[in-house]
Amino acid sequence: MKYWRETFAVAQRILIELLRRRRSLVFWSIFPISVLLLNGYILAERANLTMAQAFESAAPSTLVGAALFFSCLGGSVATVVAEREQQTLKRLFISPISGTSYFLGIFLAHSFIGIGQTLLVYATAAFWGAQFNGSVLLGGCIIVLSIISYVGVGFVLGTQLARRTEDVNALVAAFGVPLLILGGAFLPTSLFPETLLNVAEFNPIYHMNEALLGVSAGGDEITEIEPHFLFLCAFAIAMVIAGWLSYRRMLSVERRL
Amino acid sequence: MLRIETLNKSYGDRAVLQDLTLHIPPGEVYGLLGSNGAGKTTTINIICNLLKADRGTILIDNQPVSNATQPLIGIAPQENLLYKTLTCEENLQFFGRIYGLRGRSLHQQVEKCLDAVHLASRARSPVETLSGGMQRRMNIAVALVHQPKLVILDEPTTGLDIEARYEIWELIRTLQQQGITVLLTTHLLDEAERLSSRIGILKGGRIVAEGSMEQLRQRIPAQEIVIVETADEQQAIARAQAHGFTERRYGNDLAFWLPEPLELQEIIARFDGITLKSIARQPVRLEHIYIEVTQAEP
Repeated sequence: MKYWRETFAVAQRILIELLRRRRSLVFWSIFPISVLLLNGYILAERANLTMAQAFESAAPSTLVGAALFFSCLGGSVATVVAEREQQTLKRLFISPISGTSYFLGIFLAHSFIGIGQTLLVYATAAFWGAQFNGSVLLGGCIIVLSIISYVGVGFVLGTQLARRTEDVNALVAAFGVPLLILGGAFLPTSLFPETLLNVAEFNPIYHMNEALLGVSAGGDEITEIEPHFLFLCAFAIAMVIAGWLSYRRMLSVERRL
Repeated sequence: MLRIETLNKSYGDRAVLQDLTLHIPPGEVYGLLGSNGAGKTTTINIICNLLKADRGTILIDNQPVSNATQPLIGIAPQENLLYKTLTCEENLQFFGRIYGLRGRSLHQQVEKCLDAVHLASRARSPVETLSGGMQRRMNIAVALVHQPKLVILDEPTTGLDIEARYEIWELIRTLQQQGITVLLTTHLLDEAERLSSRIGILKGGRIVAEGSMEQLRQRIPAQEIVIVETADEQQAIARAQAHGFTERRYGNDLAFWLPEPLELQEIIARFDGITLKSIARQPVRLEHIYIEVTQAEP
């Protein structure tokens, strides 16, 4: 009960702050739609697909590769960094809140945003005639695992590497954009040369993308996306542990008035 | 309410707290004074269980400091640690929930705290739209939301204008009337003098003087202090000493302790023949005691 109450309080607070500021929410809406439209039109033109087919292929990679990356990873980093900058982290340190609740609260808040982006991306794709026949449950699991992974990475970066707001942009530009391209968020992985594909297999975004693309656009079952799904599960667990350890480390270093 | 016994803490070779002992009974406002680096913040960090002491014990409401004692403490740090885009009400609701309040009790506590800090009319205003003094009061309200038994106010009026300072002082007096134990750290000696039931002066990690203002006044063998302004200071000092006055410097001011109360005319008569630009009498104040005590101790 304590954990749920604290988790809900943190999530509610983050969402209220985002609603007040609006700017982030607007950008997190504009960005995936614009990427989806670009990907859809390029695919339709260059791969000789119908608009519906193009948007069926573009939606999953746009969602996990572009939308969730910036909202859940970038958003988590920004949340932790903002707490550090306005020093409210100190106030939390002297309160009875647990690190687990804090992590879960950030995860829950960004899950709401992620779900909103999912609805937005898939609704936009559906507007262009796209149809998605895969398992909703399996697709939902992949999206949730992706959100957990991104929030976990965001926690690690926010607690360990990003000290100021400017650092968030630098980190995203330095590591995020190449990983997104390598994950197939902007270019279909079918265009990748073999050597790049071998490298991409170490990129969690590639596995998120391939898994959701398989389920969402191809109607794949879990057996068909098993390697991607298992990689994603392992990565999500690893990131939760890494995020938790990072938070513990931050506590031991910064837990002072 | 708060018992600190022989607390010791070092950072490397540097001893920050040395056998610090401090007892604050329930309902008392205790002023903890000390220059920067005297050990005030380290003491607060240990009380809040943010830092481990090397030796010594702290009991809060008869319980050793641990995570379990955190809800007993409400702290208003030096900086206003508030979510600026949230309203006053939302800030209090958030921190109330973190401390386990919910439903009707949360709602009532939020209202009570806003009333206590005179911000009920600004309940729905985002914190960033409040003045500096209002934000400081909100900072204190957050410390009160979970009904702590011990409230720590860390330099609550630093950087505020005089009107905002008076508002905070009024609030501290209200807390005292409600029987809340307050540990007040401040650099403003008049603030400590006005608000504290007892005062402890911390130097080099030890309490070097402690007591009520009346008790602390005994540390200076003077009934009152005169501040003298003259071009001929050496002659004034020699004359004053001949009359049993003790010479002191407070900043640029030349001052003398008077061992017995004298009328102003009598004091002026002691400096007969010396041109005095001005002469002023002052009661013995905390700043005089503070300087005396901290300069006397190694």
